Amino acid sequence: MKLVGLFIAAVWLCAAAPSAVAQTVGAADQAERKQPPPETPVVPPAAEEPQQPPGEETVNEAAIEAEIAAQELSGEAQTRLDAARDSVVQIQGFFEGSESSAFHGSGFAVDDGRRIVTNYHVVAQAVLYPQQYRLKYLASDGREGPLHVLAIDVRNDLAIVAADDLELPPLKLRPDIPAQGERAWSIGFPLNLGLTITEGVANGLVENRIGQRIHYTGAINGGMSGGPALDRRGRVYGVNVSVVTNRQLVGFVVPAQHIPALLARAKEPLEKQYSALQLRQHVTSQVLAYEADVLEAQPDAVSTQTVRGFVLPTQISPYVECSTFDERGPHVRTRVEVISCRIPSQLSVQSGLPVAGLSIQHRIVRSIGLHPLQFERQVNRVAADTPRLGLPTHVAPFACHDGLVSLDGFDARISTCVRQYRLFPDLYDFNVTVVSLDDESQALVSRLTLQGVAFDSGERLLKRYLGALQWKP
Amino acid sequence: MEAVMLVEQVGALGHPVLRQRFTGAGTECRVGQDIDCDVVVDDEHVAPQHALLTLLEDGRVRVQDLGTRNGTRVAGKRVTPEGAIIEQGEIIVGHTRLYVRTRHVPPGQERVYRREFVRTHRTWLTVAGVAACIAYAGFRQWLNAPSSLPRSVTTAALVTLGVLALWTGLWALMSKLNRGRWEVRVHLAIASIGVAVCVWGSWVGGLVAYAAQWSVLAKVGVGVIGAITLVALYLHLREATRYDRRIALAIAGAATILISAVAWVIAIGVDDNDVNRVDLGPDVRLGAERIVPNRDIAEYLAEVDRLKRAAGRERQMSLLNSPLADAGD
Repeated sequence: MKLVGLFIAAVWLCAAAPSAVAQTVGAADQAERKQPPPETPVVPPAAEEPQQPPGEETVNEAAIEAEIAAQELSGEAQTRLDAARDSVVQIQGFFEGSESSAFHGSGFAVDDGRRIVTNYHVVAQAVLYPQQYRLKYLASDGREGPLHVLAIDVRNDLAIVAADDLELPPLKLRPDIPAQGERAWSIGFPLNLGLTITEGVANGLVENRIGQRIHYTGAINGGMSGGPALDRRGRVYGVNVSVVTNRQLVGFVVPAQHIPALLARAKEPLEKQYSALQLRQHVTSQVLAYEADVLEAQPDAVSTQTVRGFVLPTQISPYVECSTFDERGPHVRTRVEVISCRIPSQLSVQSGLPVAGLSIQHRIVRSIGLHPLQFERQVNRVAADTPRLGLPTHVAPFACHDGLVSLDGFDARISTCVRQYRLFPDLYDFNVTVVSLDDESQALVSRLTLQGVAFDSGERLLKRYLGALQWKP
Repeated sequence: MEAVMLVEQVGALGHPVLRQRFTGAGTECRVGQDIDCDVVVDDEHVAPQHALLTLLEDGRVRVQDLGTRNGTRVAGKRVTPEGAIIEQGEIIVGHTRLYVRTRHVPPGQERVYRREFVRTHRTWLTVAGVAACIAYAGFRQWLNAPSSLPRSVTTAALVTLGVLALWTGLWALMSKLNRGRWEVRVHLAIASIGVAVCVWGSWVGGLVAYAAQWSVLAKVGVGVIGAITLVALYLHLREATRYDRRIALAIAGAATILISAVAWVIAIGVDDNDVNRVDLGPDVRLGAERIVPNRDIAEYLAEVDRLKRAAGRERQMSLLNSPLADAGD
């Protein structure tokens, strides 16, 4: 199953204020939008479907009707929902003294029934801005009260929350991954419409993905984030986490096997353990640990691809996925070949603030009979078309440095721009643009974009990237 | 020496429309609408007998108001009943300006007449300037490699001519009103040469900035363009008005500062708060000569290392300008 470019569009299910949603969507890499539509994952037939013996061609309509009735799909969903109803709560976030909620998601009781599992992104605002946001639960019997966060796992997008006096019937966790094709249900509060259950099929762990996610083919909508994903026996095999927008029923679920480790850490409220500054450092350290695993895995193995004499680094980390395509050039008399590489999944420390992202875009721009002066203008245009990924609330402006550098086999102008995160001073964005010089009919415009990385690790990746660029005519 | 006073009536455009000479101490000059006055003024805000100018023994002039309702002003101040004694200056009655001169203020030295460069060579300068402007407009169009080059070049040339014509026309009109001559070629020469120097200079400057890897040149270029604007405005003013050098320079300077300030504010609004703005350095010129040696990767990476501090400074500035919503500490 190839899912290149699919995850970029994956958005959180936590229904946030409209502006925050727009930010999440707006953060999608512009360059990626130019890619052809990703392959839609092929959904294998559900295991429950009646298997026709091979060779038997007759269709017995009455038998099919009976089969369908026997499955009692809607009845089963009702049983699942009734069994889980008391364990599921809606989690709402409020901005300062406001009475209307700023964002909301779902959660469910586990373990002794006093602790509730949800997504990190549901409670992220409250974790990062403890003085501005407060959390509240709303149980099925109408009880409500304040919630506090006990533990967070940014990498797996999980959080444990608890209320002082709340004890709910816990749901049982299933430690293994459901087989591909197993029937599954997701429960939550989509779009604030009340408790809802959807039915679908679990499609196994997604390959090539660093953070483990189970692909769920079924309806998941904003607000169901943090809700339980149940198997046939009513056990929780995962937590609803994200959905691919503008696609049909492609949802993702965090496997339940990550919950026990987090529960072991969830002893007392985070705000008692950490100051606000330390909390941000706590979040940062989880991001940096993820980065060390992902961005800097196998630092010596850089795979390359040769295009028109240029040897171009593609996988400077084993998790990078690449695609090659023709792009509409800035001018009809230019041709642009693009090799676009990125790590398909990204962590988000808060809505609209993805971190630990890496993308490389090599563009080979060729002139079709343009004068060198005309061609250089088009090359500068391609180089100046930088992605606009940052929001002024999250990042400070770039500081840049440019220079003419001798690379392996060719000379290039390299412009490196670095900006620091406002809330997380240990995280930086890198934007490196390499433009080859001296060839008047063909130019390489290559860009390395790093989002939310430690400065040192950004420098190491930059070194690896520049060291691998080569011209071999 | 006999006392003398010259009384000039100043017209609406600042030129003397009447000049009368009075000699001998004790000579009086009456100013008013009345036909018996020495200086008859056709102004409904002036009384029939409005002011009295008396030439004194020492050659100065006493100015007296003859009890009018609107009064008489000398150097901007209303004359008291005792009168004011002046050596020279402006006298205002109603809406009419008079100018009085006496022997006390000798005329200036004779200035050697010098034909100015622009005026002498106005025809050639105009042809060269307009040609350079149109050439640049065409060159820019050609750089974009448009699908129909003749059409783009024609449009650009016409737009350039139109802008130059509008600008020149306004200054020529000012010339005609203030000095009685249109001076179209002089103004067109000033405008077109100024624009041509700015646009071609910035193109050549880009080439030099790339060759020398001198990013500062962009800022120097902005300064040079400011200086050229100042000079052009000064020359326009000198040609189109009767202001002397200092006043023309002051007005041109003020206008330049105003234009720069507006441009700066717009640039800040567009640029400075943009967290996605990247400064890639001087534009790449493929195949152009470079006069600086290339760095190697290690050298460049060492320079990148310093960006950490620069980025930190940007963050500090950003936090000062807009503190975090929930600092928390």
